[in-house]
Amino acid sequence: MEDIIKGIGLLLEFQNILLILSGVLIGVLVGALPGLSSPMAIALLIPFTISLDPVAAIAMMAALYCAGTFGGSITAILINAPGAPPAVATALDGYPMAKNGEPGRALGLAAVSSVFGGIFSLIIFIFAAPLLAKLALEFGPAEYFGLAVFALSMLASMSGKSSLRNLISGLVGVLIGTIGIHLTTGVERFTFDIPDLEEGIHFVPVLIGLFAVSELFKQSEKLNAVVERIQAKALRLPTLFELKKLKYTILRSSGIGTFIGILPAEGSTVAAIIGYNEARRWSKDKDSFGKGSPEGIVGPEAANNAAAGGAMVPTLALGIPGSGSTALILAALIMHGFRPGPYLISETPEFVYAIFGAMLIANLGFLFIGLVGAKFFSLVAFIPKKLLWPAVFIFSMIGSYSFASSMFDVWVMLAAGLVGYFMDRHGFSAAPLVMGLILGKLVEESFSQSMIIHDNNFFALLESPVVLLFFVLTFLSLSSPFWTRYFSKK
Amino acid sequence: MKNNKNAPKSLGALFNKSDTIIAILLTFIIGFLWFETTKFEKVPDLFSNNIPPEMFPQILLIIILGMVLIIPFEHIFLKKNGKDIDSSRKNSVEFSTIGTMFILSAIIASSQVLGAALTIIAVSVSLPIYWGERRLKVLISYVIGFPLFVIVLFNIILGVHFEPGLLELIKN
Repeated sequence: MEDIIKGIGLLLEFQNILLILSGVLIGVLVGALPGLSSPMAIALLIPFTISLDPVAAIAMMAALYCAGTFGGSITAILINAPGAPPAVATALDGYPMAKNGEPGRALGLAAVSSVFGGIFSLIIFIFAAPLLAKLALEFGPAEYFGLAVFALSMLASMSGKSSLRNLISGLVGVLIGTIGIHLTTGVERFTFDIPDLEEGIHFVPVLIGLFAVSELFKQSEKLNAVVERIQAKALRLPTLFELKKLKYTILRSSGIGTFIGILPAEGSTVAAIIGYNEARRWSKDKDSFGKGSPEGIVGPEAANNAAAGGAMVPTLALGIPGSGSTALILAALIMHGFRPGPYLISETPEFVYAIFGAMLIANLGFLFIGLVGAKFFSLVAFIPKKLLWPAVFIFSMIGSYSFASSMFDVWVMLAAGLVGYFMDRHGFSAAPLVMGLILGKLVEESFSQSMIIHDNNFFALLESPVVLLFFVLTFLSLSSPFWTRYFSKK
Repeated sequence: MKNNKNAPKSLGALFNKSDTIIAILLTFIIGFLWFETTKFEKVPDLFSNNIPPEMFPQILLIIILGMVLIIPFEHIFLKKNGKDIDSSRKNSVEFSTIGTMFILSAIIASSQVLGAALTIIAVSVSLPIYWGERRLKVLISYVIGFPLFVIVLFNIILGVHFEPGLLELIKN
């Protein structure tokens, strides 16, 4: 209890509240802009938050993350163009409802179910994270290695065209993490006599390049796309009667979203799609789906926002990112000198509670912002791309440069952007690469330590039941495409 | 005999052309990186605790290579799941995208000479014009307003150091 009060105390400084609300505003804004996404905004924000107090910096990013998930639904509903991937399923019924003359109602349903899903997952977060951290305190290097391998295997099931390509991207990320001086021996690896590579490749320019610059190249292909907008004067909150009718759908989707968010590497997009499918499966009026069903809006919206809170659990408790955005928050934590994982919760619980508080404020904040600014945010999507994307590139350049005042980082950003663009064309996702890059150090360190402890006998690792469990889960995760097909045929 | 609809009609159909090229390219890169690992400085076992610095990268390279070799045939499995790996690369890369890549690379290459302020202005001018923005009033207000906003926010308020570049030469 004392830690919770301390955490709230940390948050209640005027500057922190202001930064959280700015995070909410930026989150809704980037969420509402098709092409811009919360991972991209977090990546761009990281270098500018280095000089901030860690609580303020991480709280701002967490707020942006929550609000960005909701922001995507605004354009999904009003222009049938999901501002962010997690809002894809929302467009299926949100846009038809808006077209039927009820855009305010669709936005209201999305906002309220998002808030409910977000708060539900935060309640789970506040109980689950310390428990998970307590359990993880017992982990040795071998158990951590097993956990990291399991997390990497989960990259296969991240959204994207191909599990195989997701895995390759993840492992390439781990490989990039080996560039620089090897900590144990001091030997230079893959530095090619370039002094800038001795410290390794910095996270920030790679993240900015993969998320922002590669998207700029994609957007340069469709600069003249015309979108049709439905006028929304205001967001209309659902009535109590309506909410009563939808309560089971919201509750079910919140549970699904939280669970999926907690799984390493599974993000809001998967949660939203499952939330939508389950809402349809349990609905008494299946025929209304695709034509503006309220259940078709609240199902994915509660799930995708719940996944955002759920994804923070493994991120903070284990140091294993739950999604692309939380991988970036994890990178920010590392840059602020924190060691994400069980020690973060056991040594600085007030910090974790402050993040929890920031996410709670963010959930209420975007409801308020949605209520007063729905009309404005629906217009945001019409900022000309020809002016928006040069601005994004300028922010990307400054972000990459200012991190270490190095032009080399700007080149890394451009290279990452080019690689990201061609990866996307050929079905390789950027998010697994980022997660691999961030997990890389943990994988190599825990692997080396385990090998030293077990005298280079890999099979001795399997003597630990926890490691064995993680390896079984890894096997199940990697073989899931085969057995899910087998069971679905039956 | 039962005729399997998904079975490839010829040996060539087993391979996806684009993916085969990607797999060959990646195999070369993996080969090059493997060669690089053999050039890592040798460390006595005592110092490396029997975990030489090349061991972990080499394990990764082997696993990646194993997966890369499946890529040319992956389209067969993906098709069975209703996924078309070629959908995003059906069209060749647009000329506007190649031009954008070239412009941005050129601007970054010249940024050390130009300095930060002129680089920002160069991006604000070149990209919108290249992408077809012709409304003069919009362009002028953007080219003046946006760089000014960025310089005030980052250089003056947030204290990010901006290299003066050419502007210093002009000043002197």
